[in-house]
Amino acid sequence: MIAKPHSALILVGHGSTVNPDSSAPTFDHAAEITRRGLFAEVHCAFWKEEPSLRQVLHMVDAEEIYIVPNFISEGYFTRTVIPRELELTGPVTERDGRVIKYCEPVGSHARMTELLVHRAAAVAPGVPPEKSTLFIVGHGTNLNDNSAIAAKREVELIAAQGRYAEVRNAYMEEEPLISKWDEYSTQPNVVVVPFFIADGLHSYEDIPVLLGIAEESPGAASANASGVFANNPYDRRGRTLFYASAIGTEPLFADLVLEQVAAFDAAHAVPA
Amino acid sequence: MRSVLQTLSDWLAAGGHSIGQIHIAAQGAAFQLTHHADRERTDLAARTGVEAARELAHYDDAGKFRPLKTAPNLRHGWRLSVADLPELRRALDYFYPAMLGVWLSHQRGELLPVPLRATLARQTGMYRVTQLITDEQAQEMIGTQCRLDGGCLKRILWPLAPDVPLSSLSAEKLDPTAPAGTLPLLCHEACNLLVAKAREVVKKAQQQQQ
Repeated sequence: MIAKPHSALILVGHGSTVNPDSSAPTFDHAAEITRRGLFAEVHCAFWKEEPSLRQVLHMVDAEEIYIVPNFISEGYFTRTVIPRELELTGPVTERDGRVIKYCEPVGSHARMTELLVHRAAAVAPGVPPEKSTLFIVGHGTNLNDNSAIAAKREVELIAAQGRYAEVRNAYMEEEPLISKWDEYSTQPNVVVVPFFIADGLHSYEDIPVLLGIAEESPGAASANASGVFANNPYDRRGRTLFYASAIGTEPLFADLVLEQVAAFDAAHAVPA
Repeated sequence: MRSVLQTLSDWLAAGGHSIGQIHIAAQGAAFQLTHHADRERTDLAARTGVEAARELAHYDDAGKFRPLKTAPNLRHGWRLSVADLPELRRALDYFYPAMLGVWLSHQRGELLPVPLRATLARQTGMYRVTQLITDEQAQEMIGTQCRLDGGCLKRILWPLAPDVPLSSLSAEKLDPTAPAGTLPLLCHEACNLLVAKAREVVKKAQQQQQ
C-alpha cells in the first residue's frame, strides 16, 4: 500500500449547487483515505462546491501535492477545467516551492473493471453470472462522449472474462436504450450498474423509471433514493432484475484513488 | 514553514472563539462547537466527530442543501464535540471550507485577489458568455448576491477590474479585518455561484433584447 507521510492528496470532484449527493462519494473516499493515515493531508475540491479549485491549495501545508480527479473518465473537466483552475502546466507543475502532481482520473484506472464486477456480484448475491445479463448504463450524449467510450471499454473487458452470459452497454438517451433492457437480454437474471461517479437524479429516478421499477416523483428525486436500491430484486417483464447504485459510490473507489497516485509515480519515476 | 494547524492553535491560544456563525469552546484537549445563537441553549442535540460536521454544514434549518457554506444560514440546535485540534481543523474545513488556510495565506502575503474580470475572462464552455456582463450589471449582481445580510459572510478582497472597485456593497463587506476573537472569512476570488449567476444575468439580458 502506498504511503506518502509528507505529501498532500487532493481529490477533485464536480459537485453540485442543488444536489448534496454529487459530492458525497468524493468526501467519503477522502475521509476513508484520511482514516488510513497514508498522507500528511487529504483534502477535497470541487468545481461547483466548496472548497473550490481556487481555494484548495491554500489549505495545503505540504510541498508535494497529488491531485486525483474523482471523475469517471478523461474529458472536458480533467483536460480543461481542472488544469486551468489550478494553473497546472502539465503532469508536474513546480510553483512557489511546491510540486503539484496531476494524476489520471479515478475512472480511467484498469481496476475499474474489477470494481464493476464486484458491484454487480454484491447487488445480486448468489445469482449465477452464467445465467445473468449485466448492463453498464451510461448517459450517452455528446457531452459525455468520453464516459460513453469508457463504458464501452469496460463492457468489452468484462465480457472477455467470460463469467457473465451477456454483458451489454446501455444508455439513457441513445440506442441501445436502457428502457428496452428486456429486448437486449436473454437471461433470466438482469443486473444493472450505473456508470456514474455519484448518485443523483439519473440513478435515483431517471434510470429506475426507464427500467420500470419506479414512478416519476413529483418532488425531489432523492425521495426515491432510500427505496430504489433497497428493494432488490424486482420481478419485471418475466425476469429478475437487480439494480445497483452509481459505481462511484463503491467504497473500493478509495483504493483506486491510491492506485492512481502509485500509477503516477510509476509513470514519472526519475531513472536512478 | 506553513502550518494551518499551528495557525489555528495560535489563534485559539490568543483567545480565538468565533468563526462565521460558529462558536468554539475548548474543553481540555477537546472542543465543542455550536451555532453562535445557541450558546445559551440547554436543549441542543449532541453530536460527535468530524464527519457529523459535514452533515451539519450541508443543510439549513429547513433541511435545504447549502451550496455556499459562508451563507448566513447555518442550521441551529446542535452541539458538536471533536476530540482534538486536528479534528477541530477538519470540522472547520467542513463548516467553512478553506477559510483557515486562506486566512493563513493572507497573513503570509500569499493571497492574491483576482479581479472579477480576470475570473470571467478565464471561463470556457457554458460560462464563457459571462464575459459579456456589463460593469453596471456586475455591480448590481454583486450587491445582491454577496451582501452580508442574507448573501454571504465572506469579506471581499477583489475589485471588479484592477481600476474598478466594487461600489454596491457596504464598507464592512470589503473590510478584511475582524473583531477580536473572530477569524475572518476572506474571499479572494468570485466563487462559481457568482460566475453561474453572471451567466443568468447575461442570458436574461440577451433574451430581453430579442
